[in-house]
Amino acid sequence: MQKLEGEKEFIKHISQHELMLYKVCRVYAYSDADRQDLFQEIVIQLWKAYPKFKGDSKISTWLYRVAINTAISGLRKKKNLVTSFEPTSIPEPAGVYDQEHCQEERLQQMYQAIEQLNAVEKAIVMLYMEDRTYLEMEEILGLGQGNLRVKMNRIKEKLRQLTKNY
Amino acid sequence: MELDDLKQTWNQNQSTKPLNTDIMELIQHKSYGPLAALKKAFRKQIVFMAIIPAYFIMLNVDDLHALSNNVILWSYIAFCLGVIIFSYYNYRLVNKMEGMDNLVKVNLEQQVNLLERSMKWKKTALMAALLFFILLIEIVPYFQHYRMLDKWHSVPAAIRYVVYAGLFVLQYFANTWVNERRYGRHLKYLKELVKEMQ
Repeated sequence: MQKLEGEKEFIKHISQHELMLYKVCRVYAYSDADRQDLFQEIVIQLWKAYPKFKGDSKISTWLYRVAINTAISGLRKKKNLVTSFEPTSIPEPAGVYDQEHCQEERLQQMYQAIEQLNAVEKAIVMLYMEDRTYLEMEEILGLGQGNLRVKMNRIKEKLRQLTKNY
Repeated sequence: MELDDLKQTWNQNQSTKPLNTDIMELIQHKSYGPLAALKKAFRKQIVFMAIIPAYFIMLNVDDLHALSNNVILWSYIAFCLGVIIFSYYNYRLVNKMEGMDNLVKVNLEQQVNLLERSMKWKKTALMAALLFFILLIEIVPYFQHYRMLDKWHSVPAAIRYVVYAGLFVLQYFANTWVNERRYGRHLKYLKELVKEMQ
């Protein structure tokens, strides 16, 4: 009975934050199949760690920790997952679109640029885009807020360079 | 292109949704990550190393006297026990590595530390196993006669020791090569990330 309630509660938490988890998969895996695999692995790791979650931190902070840890260090089976590349310039968009399409296209370009960052930088930029505070980033990553600010500025510059043709 | 300009689109974007989102179904699956694979390999090794000596004992159970005096068999059993203890130790190390709810930095440092410790232990255990078998080959003929060992002992001692030394060197390089292939890249990747987090 208690187990069933635990399961229900767990599913509720995951359902509330699933978009957040998808984004972790989107940043760390580059094909639909890999994203599906990573999502599954993250959910399994969350389920394993759930009994230890005592509510000391926000549920979103805990979810991010498990998801990022799984994406960074738990999956090394496939070569195209969790790897970083040498920076190359991003291809320019093909045509002119309306405002919404244009914004979407730019986001895809940004995702491509983010693919070229290393695993730690990806985590920082993702949390930044998710509007997490530096305090929350610190609670997830274990990096000091000052260090995070410096890194974030460097990442912004790196992404600016990577997408300068856009 | 500015990162901040895309925040709104990023937060509205739903195109990243995976196909299977049945959480109940997903948690029934087994983990397929490398740590789970390592755990499975160590479990298999423990079972295998327990079955083989048991099988040899059962084969010789009719002649208990011969069985109790068979130095080679008991040495092999001791070796298997050593492998079981070593595999169990590694299994526990991997168990520790599986905890994914730590701070990312702490988790990475822990993974590097455990992986290095595991590799160091493996190196020591393999050296100990080789030394054990060399001692066995050198000592057993004093207690029991094995035709093969008699032949080996007819070779001059100096040549035998050179071969043993060669085996140690070969094992050292083979082990380094295997470790590099199996864990080296991953360890390097983790160390780079830890460095990145300083």
